[in-house]
Amino acid sequence: MAEKLMDIKDLKVRFKTEDGFISTVNGVTFNMNEGETLAIVGESGSGKSVTSLALMGILPPNGEVYEGEMSFRDKNLRTLSKKDYRALRGNEISMIFQEPMTALNPVFTVGYQLRETLIVHFKMTKQQANIRGIQMLELVGIPDAEKAMGRFPHQLSGGMRQRVMIAMALSCNPRLLIADEPTTALDVTIQAQILTLMRNLKEKSNTSIMIITHDLGVVAELADRVIVMYAGEVVEEAPIYELFENPLHPYTKGLMASIPKVHDVVDDLYSIEGTVPNPANMPSGCKFHPRCPLADIECTKIHPALEYVNEGHAKRCIKV
Amino acid sequence: MKYLFQNLLKTIPVLLLITLIVFLLVRVTGDPVSLMLPETATEEERESLREALGFNEPLPVQYFTYLGDLVRGDFGDSFRYNTDAMALVLERLPATFELAFASMIVAILISVPLGILSAVKRNSFFDLFITGGAVLGKAMPSFWLGIMLILFLAVNVQIFPVSGRDGFQHLILPALTLGTGIAAEMTRLIRSSMLEILGQDFIRTARSKGLKEGIVVNKHAFRNALIPVVTIMALQTSTLIGGTLITETVFAWPGLGQLLVQAVNLRDMSVVQAATFLIAIFVIMSNLIADLMYRMLDPRIKYD
Repeated sequence: MAEKLMDIKDLKVRFKTEDGFISTVNGVTFNMNEGETLAIVGESGSGKSVTSLALMGILPPNGEVYEGEMSFRDKNLRTLSKKDYRALRGNEISMIFQEPMTALNPVFTVGYQLRETLIVHFKMTKQQANIRGIQMLELVGIPDAEKAMGRFPHQLSGGMRQRVMIAMALSCNPRLLIADEPTTALDVTIQAQILTLMRNLKEKSNTSIMIITHDLGVVAELADRVIVMYAGEVVEEAPIYELFENPLHPYTKGLMASIPKVHDVVDDLYSIEGTVPNPANMPSGCKFHPRCPLADIECTKIHPALEYVNEGHAKRCIKV
Repeated sequence: MKYLFQNLLKTIPVLLLITLIVFLLVRVTGDPVSLMLPETATEEERESLREALGFNEPLPVQYFTYLGDLVRGDFGDSFRYNTDAMALVLERLPATFELAFASMIVAILISVPLGILSAVKRNSFFDLFITGGAVLGKAMPSFWLGIMLILFLAVNVQIFPVSGRDGFQHLILPALTLGTGIAAEMTRLIRSSMLEILGQDFIRTARSKGLKEGIVVNKHAFRNALIPVVTIMALQTSTLIGGTLITETVFAWPGLGQLLVQAVNLRDMSVVQAATFLIAIFVIMSNLIADLMYRMLDPRIKYD
């Protein structure tokens, strides 16, 4: 049995707005094992990014975790001091973001931004950090790494910037890498390169990866296990093959059906009708029922629990 | 370097235009001869003085004579003091620089910490207090603030001298007077600039790296927030050099502003022309310096 890396139980996150508190993550439960790659899938607004920011302890100033448990390698993240949390961030847990264009500081060189993490966490000297930084850039496939250290972010292409982000995130050998839509903002050819890079790096190190995406292609490429989120809840959890072979929740099925396939010529691309509900105005009962093809009167009343149908495969639906 | 050279070349037509405008303005505001001779002087005496000073020549001829002298570094003599006009202006320059520099320091010392803090603690009581204070500081006329400072800190409690220029002690009140007004504007600017930057993705990245909040704010955010602030600082510096007449008058500070207004009142043409010429050079220079700093702070702006 693999060792448990992190555990989230019944996590709830809310944001303070002018109209009072709005809860965007409503009782999320999942865990990760060492060395595992977990994908969190969902539309924008499903609470997947907020969950990861909560785990990192870097929610925006108006956001807060107000219920639930989060632990990482037996440390309780909710009671961790600011200082201990800082020592964890960028070191044991690190993160790469969706927009490589804006995620790097425009006024500092690549080298400065790479060295910074190493100096803070490993107490390296500038020279040591420089050597390690160059190694990291070489590892993520940046040509002429030494020269790249002196470049500013705007002098690099989007794909190169994302490589720099990955180098930065991996420089302290984290146990967990959170990748929030790492390929969404990139060209398709670059997307494939970045995914291949991530898979290769994963094989070399024992880093666990939590990949947040709305792209099931990315999921198929990388993940061992998948969590599908909808309206701040986990609606399905399954190992990767199981999910693609036998999706249970109508929302997951909808996501699968909306992937275009080359062989089936259809007039219209399938899409799930409607949009993600506004967190300020959640539907009663099952939160997916207004968009669900199977929904009946029962679904408007009963809020289904997450039930395991077999080992590792759970769904939040009373109809399947 | 090439950039600097190009910009220096561009300043030549600007300076020429300024000399022309000032030259014409001092000549349409009245005849200096009537102020230089006693009331009882005859028309012949006035005419011969005009001739001696070259005022009987047509304006274009006078202008080119003036330009020719200027190129040779001769700004003419002051009618009033009978000495070299430029020498008079240069004599006042240290006082003006001293006050401008001290005021800028006061402004920076006040606005940088307050601007950053009120952005970090946005919408808190502290932020409200600072933002309110900044509006007040901007609305407060400098002559009033100057007089109040004299009243409280030089008359009631005699910590500082009332007026004049004689060492560091004398510098504090006028620098506070001028610095506060600039600080008010800069605080608001730094606050809004910081707020914008603190919402950027790279700040989230900096936090995700496990950096201390102080480093995130003062290094990652402030370095970016400083870029628009530098422009305002340069504009304020040139204002400080060109005209702080009111504050100089309140504190009897022997600066350029005072000399210039005196010269205008006495139609002391050479002094007016020499002073405006020098001020123009400093305004152009501080803009050039701002431009260079801008490029230094923001690597996205390309050189040349």
